[in-house]
Amino acid sequence: MNPIVQRSGGINVLLQGNEAIARGALEGGVVFCAAYPGNPSSEILETLAEASQKLPIYVEWSVNEKVALEAATAASFAHCRAMVSMKQNGVNVISDFLTNLTLSGTKGGLVLVSCDDPSGISSTNEEDARLFAKLADIPLLEPATPQEALEMTRWSFQLSENIENIVMIRSVSRLSHTRSNVLLGDLPDFRPTPHFDLDSAFHTFPVVEKHKTRHQKLDQAAEMFEDSPFNHYQGPHKPELLVISSGCAWTYIDEALAILGLLDRVGVLKLGTTWPIPKKFLKKHLTLCDRILFVEDVDPFLEENVKALAADLGKEIGVKEFLGKSSGHMPHCGEQSPHILLNLFADIFGIDYGKRAYRERLTPIIKEMVPAREFGFSPGCPHRGTYYAIKTALAWDNRDGFVSGDIGCYTMGIWPTGFNQVKSVHAMGSGSGLASGYGKLEQFGFNQPVITVCGDSTFFHAAIPALINAKFNQSDILLLILDNSATAMTGFQPHPGTGSTAMGSEADPVDIDALCRSLGVCVELADPYDMENTAKTIYRLMKEKGPRVLILKRKCAIVEGREGKFPYSLNVDQELCLGEQCGCGRYCTRIFRCPGLIWDNSNGKARIDEVICVGCGICANICPQEAIVKENVEG
Amino acid sequence: MDDSISNGQCQLIDKVINKGICVTCGACVGLCPYFDYFDGRVVVMDRCTSDTWRCLQICPRADYDETSLDKIIKKQDQISEIGSFKKIFMARSSQEEISKMAQYGGVVSTLLIYAIEKGFIESAIMTAKGGDVSPAGTIAKDRSDILNCAGSRYNASGGLAALNRAIKGDKERLAVVGLPCQMEALARMGLMEPDGAERVSRVNLKIGLFCTWALDYRQLNDYLKNVGLEEPIKKYDIPPPPSQVFLVLTEKGWREFPLDDIRPLIQKGCALCDDMTAEHADISVGSVEGLEGWNTVVVRSQKGEEIMTAAVEDNHIQIDNLPKENFDHLKEASLNKREKSRIATEEMKRRES
Amino acid sequence: MSFNLIITGVGGQGNVLASQIVGRAAVNRGLRVTVGETFGLSQRGGPVMSHIRLSRESNCAPLIPPNMAHVILGLEPLETLRILMEYGNEDTIFIVNSRPIYPLNVIAGDVEYPDKEQIRSVLAESGQRVFWLEATQMALELGEPILLNMIMLGALSALPDFPLDAGDFRNALKDIFPESKLEVNFRALDMGASLIKEDED
Repeated sequence: MNPIVQRSGGINVLLQGNEAIARGALEGGVVFCAAYPGNPSSEILETLAEASQKLPIYVEWSVNEKVALEAATAASFAHCRAMVSMKQNGVNVISDFLTNLTLSGTKGGLVLVSCDDPSGISSTNEEDARLFAKLADIPLLEPATPQEALEMTRWSFQLSENIENIVMIRSVSRLSHTRSNVLLGDLPDFRPTPHFDLDSAFHTFPVVEKHKTRHQKLDQAAEMFEDSPFNHYQGPHKPELLVISSGCAWTYIDEALAILGLLDRVGVLKLGTTWPIPKKFLKKHLTLCDRILFVEDVDPFLEENVKALAADLGKEIGVKEFLGKSSGHMPHCGEQSPHILLNLFADIFGIDYGKRAYRERLTPIIKEMVPAREFGFSPGCPHRGTYYAIKTALAWDNRDGFVSGDIGCYTMGIWPTGFNQVKSVHAMGSGSGLASGYGKLEQFGFNQPVITVCGDSTFFHAAIPALINAKFNQSDILLLILDNSATAMTGFQPHPGTGSTAMGSEADPVDIDALCRSLGVCVELADPYDMENTAKTIYRLMKEKGPRVLILKRKCAIVEGREGKFPYSLNVDQELCLGEQCGCGRYCTRIFRCPGLIWDNSNGKARIDEVICVGCGICANICPQEAIVKENVEG
Repeated sequence: MDDSISNGQCQLIDKVINKGICVTCGACVGLCPYFDYFDGRVVVMDRCTSDTWRCLQICPRADYDETSLDKIIKKQDQISEIGSFKKIFMARSSQEEISKMAQYGGVVSTLLIYAIEKGFIESAIMTAKGGDVSPAGTIAKDRSDILNCAGSRYNASGGLAALNRAIKGDKERLAVVGLPCQMEALARMGLMEPDGAERVSRVNLKIGLFCTWALDYRQLNDYLKNVGLEEPIKKYDIPPPPSQVFLVLTEKGWREFPLDDIRPLIQKGCALCDDMTAEHADISVGSVEGLEGWNTVVVRSQKGEEIMTAAVEDNHIQIDNLPKENFDHLKEASLNKREKSRIATEEMKRRES
Repeated sequence: MSFNLIITGVGGQGNVLASQIVGRAAVNRGLRVTVGETFGLSQRGGPVMSHIRLSRESNCAPLIPPNMAHVILGLEPLETLRILMEYGNEDTIFIVNSRPIYPLNVIAGDVEYPDKEQIRSVLAESGQRVFWLEATQMALELGEPILLNMIMLGALSALPDFPLDAGDFRNALKDIFPESKLEVNFRALDMGASLIKEDED
């Protein structure tokens, strides 16, 4: 039995942080859940989508985070409990609605979960979404463990209803993807009674009044936070150092102190309610010690807010020494780790710590022996074909053309796997926006052709306005829509073009071709596996004017592999293969770089790795000697 | 990409391609995947890491090992203003069908058709009409293929790429028709390490075409588009002085453009070329000034002599003496080109130092 | 005090599933477990590392402190070496699958894959013991390269000081796999265990 949909609690299961959030939401009575995929948040909605098969809740993948929040808010306005989840970039996308929503207020409990990605392990940036809580006066909860994630999420709906405003929960990758023991609570009876009060005033006018009201709501939350079980102190009466911490980073502290034997010298104040900060609670603990260290992930959020409080309380609590990011004790960038903390504590307390000799011995060895592992497109990936065709067309054109990139697996066009074609990547849809700008520079003498790429999911999310802009302002843009029928990078969640929804029902796919044509722009179709003709089409289209769309349609190789089989078996003719000789120079392994092609050092030739090769056959077209042979497989 | 690599391709890119002096002979195209000919230009597709430098060895615009070329210019009967040669005369095709379609005397087409019919060769490497044909160059196998390629070209159109393609295929003997730069590339190819000798051993006949300069295909296209000419081009012509026009034939008829407009479209690399009469060919062929329907023919090698003599004796080609006046003009023009080349080369060296 | 296990490998080798199985098995035994995963672009050929922390008293943090791994289960040799300096110590036991997965940049000729014997000897010098197993080969013999992770788990279960045994893993598998798949996975576990036992004898 899937523990997520288990009616009664009391059992102890291994849950991932994201799963715990999903379960917590269910225990909190959520009935409407919406999201857009984004690592590290995607599993929250995936778990809820699976739960929707057994529980009477509604779950959707929305076209983007803004619409997700708006849709969920409708449920809230109708007195139902709702939740949205996203990565830090999603919070940027919702910000306009969010900052207005907090003025209008909400009704049914509404919870926003932001899963930040410190160090940007799977992101284009590293960003602290907690700052939006301060910006928009939103109560903020930071769970430190999966158990806490469940409990906070469960409680947050009540909090939201008490103050009639949205509540934010902030997780990080290290919490979202961690699994640990979680004690489940009971599921409620899901019996929403949706209705919209006609005397509701879900608008933001008069603005200043509503702003004041918003502050009052925040003060209400602050009162509740003063004796929240999510905040606690652990340590001696008179610590030599007080550590203030929140979120997953807090979990590293105890162990670090234990290792260094500092548990009776250092006190740790854990905050789970981090905006508004509980002032009385903090004041009590700030008096314990004059040396205060902040441990948190990404920005000095707690650090600056507590310092501001300390400044206000200066006369009462005295002058403090604050250690953290501002003082240089903590790194400004990158995620927290036990390593950083151990080194810092050891430094502060003058303790000789660490396997220095061990590490010193290994450092030069590792440096010499261990190469980085390059990322690449999967074998059979149509993006490899696309970028090869783009590279060919741009080389033929010979005017220093380049690609304006976007978010998805095809972001990897910035690396050798995509032949280094992509020169910029920022936010969803921004590749097309940039292209719309480049397309107007000709009047100043700019003649470098620009191609912009965008995936199908990304197109629906954010690129359409840029395309309309190009039409409206007559910009010369060439937009390649890489339609692989998937939101692949994040795990194959459905989108408007794939034909099904989060809850598994069939959906009429939105036809990208028809949509673009309806804008009155030139639209053509090509097959990225047919690299030669696609290159010629791109070359031809590059010379035309105005907005042009080329849809590169070919299913994602991973999806294709799951659904069926590829038609070919590949083999490299060892007689014909020239290997490193002039005339080839390891073209297939060095330039084309599909992982299905490997280099055999023993005889200086290329060959196929049968375990990795999926049999798409496109490499057969690139060998100068025609040594790569493809044969049809049976069945 | 390892920036420390400075191999043959790097040098070719530095010395020729990035300097804009490539003359699109096509010799480097098809040796490997790193160069391609597309829409009138030789373009770099990727960077190679090879140590062998074949591309640099054969490029007629790279100055790689100039002295080696002296080995191949054998001292023939006469060395002169037009290079070493055995005989020079006027000639024209004896076949009406050919002379009707020919630019001048139809000698090239006739020779090639004759050579195939008599088994001297199996195919001929030629340039098809238009500079945008991809892949570049044509492997002509029979009479109709050859006649399809009849007519002047105003650039080399990457024609030698077809030679590289042919060499990969069946082991047949080839003729190559090309501009002086392409004949020089062939001569260099014969000396190329490691496999040059083997490659050119398949070439049984080299026919060079007289050339003063060639036009940059893309720039010509842009120019013609700008003056409203978008239809496919059937023929080009430059009538002799005092005419100062460039003629283009399309399905809509002949159109005339001032030669002064066309001169800026000349390939930069042509200024450095000192060879007007294709001095590395077996047989060199051009027009006869002031006399329609005839070719000037220069026979340079024994091979050339054999085939020419046979074609004449078999009544496929009619020959006559070249008027002294024409020969003098030819010598003068050839010397002019050499002088201009000398000046341009010095100028370039001076600018670089 | 916790038992610190790292499973490291390349995306697609079944690292995450293996760590889930260990986690479940431990919870079933009443242990406190924390499994921390690091996967970024792992699906696109990148490294995956799972930190598995088992304790009787309380849940530990998801990251193992520097140089405190008790056992490193390396599904791939280069990835095992990659984390050695950060997490290894003189008492670490290494169980390593000997078959490399060549990174793209190695296949392309930009860099070289380190000599396998050298990897093995660096590991041997830097820990208590190295079990160097032909596990991929064994998985291929069983018919499925993906069984690699089961074979490695089997090996893990045979370590004398490891708190879980093969029975614990079998029970955890029953929760995850359908009936039809259990047979071959159990066999993989057994084969992995036998590799360690042979080595011990």
